[in-house]
Amino acid sequence: MVKAIKVENFSYKYPDGTIALNGVTLDVEYGECLALIGPNGAGKSTLLLAITGFVRGTGRVVIDGLEITNGNLKQVRSRIGCCLENPEDQLFMPTLFDDVAFGPLNMGLDSQQVKERVNLALAEVGLAGMAERAPHHLSAGQKRAAAIATVLSMSPKIITLDEPDGSLDPRNRNNLVKLLAGLSQTLVIATCNMDFAAAVADEAAVIDGGRVIAAGPAKKIMSDSKLMTSHGLEVPR
Amino acid sequence: MHMANELLSVPVATGTLAIAAGGLGLICRKVSKIVSSDKLPLMGILGAFIFAAQMVNFQFPAMPGTSGHMVGAVLLAIILGPHLAAIVISSVIIVQCLIFQDGGLLALGCNIINMGLVPSYVGYFLYKMVTAGQSSSRRIYIGAMLACLVALESGAVLVPVEATLSGVLAVPFSTFLVTMVGVHFLVGLVEGLITVAVLGYIQQVRPDLVLDSLPGKIRLSRKTVLVTLLVFAMIAAAGLSLLASKMPDGLEWSYRERPDQPGFKPVITNENTTIEAVDQLQSKYTPLPDYTLRGASAETSKGWTSFAGVSGSLLTMLAVWAGMSLMRRKEAKAMSGS
Amino acid sequence: MHHAYIDKFAYQDSSIHRLDARVKFIITVVFTAVVISLPRTSVSILFCYAVGPFVVLVMGGIPLRFVLKHILYVSPFVLVLAFTGPWYDRTAAAVAFGPWIWHTTVGWLRCWSILGKFVVTMLALIALISTTRFANLLAGLQRLGMPRLLVIQMGFLYRYIFLLIDSAHHILRARAARSAGGVAFGRGVKFAAAMVGSLFVRSIDTAEHINAAMQARGFDGNWRTINRLEVRVADYVFIVIAACFIVGLYFFVKPVLG
Repeated sequence: MVKAIKVENFSYKYPDGTIALNGVTLDVEYGECLALIGPNGAGKSTLLLAITGFVRGTGRVVIDGLEITNGNLKQVRSRIGCCLENPEDQLFMPTLFDDVAFGPLNMGLDSQQVKERVNLALAEVGLAGMAERAPHHLSAGQKRAAAIATVLSMSPKIITLDEPDGSLDPRNRNNLVKLLAGLSQTLVIATCNMDFAAAVADEAAVIDGGRVIAAGPAKKIMSDSKLMTSHGLEVPR
Repeated sequence: MHMANELLSVPVATGTLAIAAGGLGLICRKVSKIVSSDKLPLMGILGAFIFAAQMVNFQFPAMPGTSGHMVGAVLLAIILGPHLAAIVISSVIIVQCLIFQDGGLLALGCNIINMGLVPSYVGYFLYKMVTAGQSSSRRIYIGAMLACLVALESGAVLVPVEATLSGVLAVPFSTFLVTMVGVHFLVGLVEGLITVAVLGYIQQVRPDLVLDSLPGKIRLSRKTVLVTLLVFAMIAAAGLSLLASKMPDGLEWSYRERPDQPGFKPVITNENTTIEAVDQLQSKYTPLPDYTLRGASAETSKGWTSFAGVSGSLLTMLAVWAGMSLMRRKEAKAMSGS
Repeated sequence: MHHAYIDKFAYQDSSIHRLDARVKFIITVVFTAVVISLPRTSVSILFCYAVGPFVVLVMGGIPLRFVLKHILYVSPFVLVLAFTGPWYDRTAAAVAFGPWIWHTTVGWLRCWSILGKFVVTMLALIALISTTRFANLLAGLQRLGMPRLLVIQMGFLYRYIFLLIDSAHHILRARAARSAGGVAFGRGVKFAAAMVGSLFVRSIDTAEHINAAMQARGFDGNWRTINRLEVRVADYVFIVIAACFIVGLYFFVKPVLG
């Protein structure tokens, strides 16, 4: 059975020689929401970069049945969208419309289709009617939602999010949880916040020192206090 | 240093706009061919960076209350090359005009030429000429300092040229020129010091960014700064004394203001015959208003039309404003009442 | 931040806001050109010309006190140069206004004329910018022939200006917190350079992240956009009114007022 994401013995070294990922093997099923949890510097972000094709190392990464090679990056990226850690980097056009339309336009869709996709994506993240706004006029929570919309408009099967709850106040964090719960795509979320992970994830994988320490149902993994604390984490409330 | 529309005449404004547009168009076409599209965000962000950099100021040593800040054109030219720098700075100037209303719409041509195109190319080529592959710190330092000074002065010199060609201002060309050159001497010094210091900082923190632009190590020691200040002070002193000595009876133009002789008609001497000719041309074709040196009776009818024109306009504006305010208030009431 | 307000006003709605960006831009340029082509001693007619942008501002709902404060903010250079008029040009002149007659100099007339023109053209420019979203203005400029490279670059510039300026504010505040007693010149230059340098490095990093985001959304070097501008009936009406106003004043009122 094809998995949404299949990582086989993937390793990556930084240019200065430090080992970032060491023989990572991981599977993600379609429709699942996987939380990558681990201490700072564990390699969560690097793993996300690996499955979105930004970091090329040794081993295999297969996305939606397509193995990542140097030549098929554009195809891969039409199947897996990524939300960066800082929404400011992701909202780089003068208006929200332009940002959300950027992906579909690159996919070669015509203007009518693009407009439809934009309106749908904005509605899905709760920003309907804000297409003409400028990104720098949005609040932190709105920026985060908008960043997700820029990815949704490409209709990817898989979405990765790097610390999406960062610098969000409790209300915005709850909105984000609701938003993510309503998405049907396969989600891979890196986060340092255990409560957030517990609220959104079905499955969890503990990453530390560039390795997958444990993976399984989120509830089971995160209630194992010995596992959590020995890797600099805590059991969610 | 941004020129305003009102200091220019329409021919000069259109001429400079054409030159600036043509120049930018050429550069853009050339750059699109050789530069990859992933440089686009970089160029945009560096434009924003220039805005931010111009906000960082520092106090001058002997003058409390005055602070200096950098322009950034030469810094960009040294790091990015003249073409990209020219585009980035020009876009900054356009945005300064449009979003911040610094500099007028029709003065854009002048401003882009004076502060964008000229400093980028002059600064870059001078820097490259002086450093010419040499890796000594002193060479690089001198190259950068000289590049900043000459680049800014070249742009500054164009301002009185454009103003005098337009004939709108009454300042004589020589006065304007000397003032601009003098002021930008100090500005150039400041620009040079900060540019060198910034290059040194970047070289320390991210040497990969300046690998191609800095052939060797760049350093700004206290001794170097003191020597530089000394050299500049000497040049400034020499320049001032040259000015003073040229006018044996004191500056010629100081004889214009004679408050003790109210009827005194000043003679605005201008050694440059071209400028005088342009000035004469100007006065021939711009109809002088009728209200100079005429008798009072001939003026009264004119006076009333002026009065009518001005008061009519003011009343119209008041009426429009009052009308709109009423309409808005009604709208607001309707919305809150319903 | 003061300047950010102009940007915010552009997002309001009014009949002026809905006009096409190209139309507004061209009319502003023509208006500015006509005003600065007026004789260098004309003052009264400037009041008449001021009515145009004034009406646009009022209809666009832009607060006038803000506009005037803003004009004052950007006037220093022009003020200094305007006042060179009375300093250097002492030709005597007599001005009649209503029942009064003033004896002054041509220099003063030139001064008031420059200042008046400045205010009027500034009113027009502010009227344009505060009623037009920058993204639309850029799209309009592109349709009018601005090189694509410049338009794209200015889009990024506009998007990140406020972010960078905020960063600069933070850094300046941090410096202020750390140098309460005043700093020597040399140290001051080193601090300033470090701040500018760190802003530069941060900019490069942000640019790299943006590139990653662009690639993640399938960017392959071809910049694709959707056309969003269209000229409507209201635009034609505006053109006709503006043309009549500008030309009418020039040929009928100017010869009378001088």
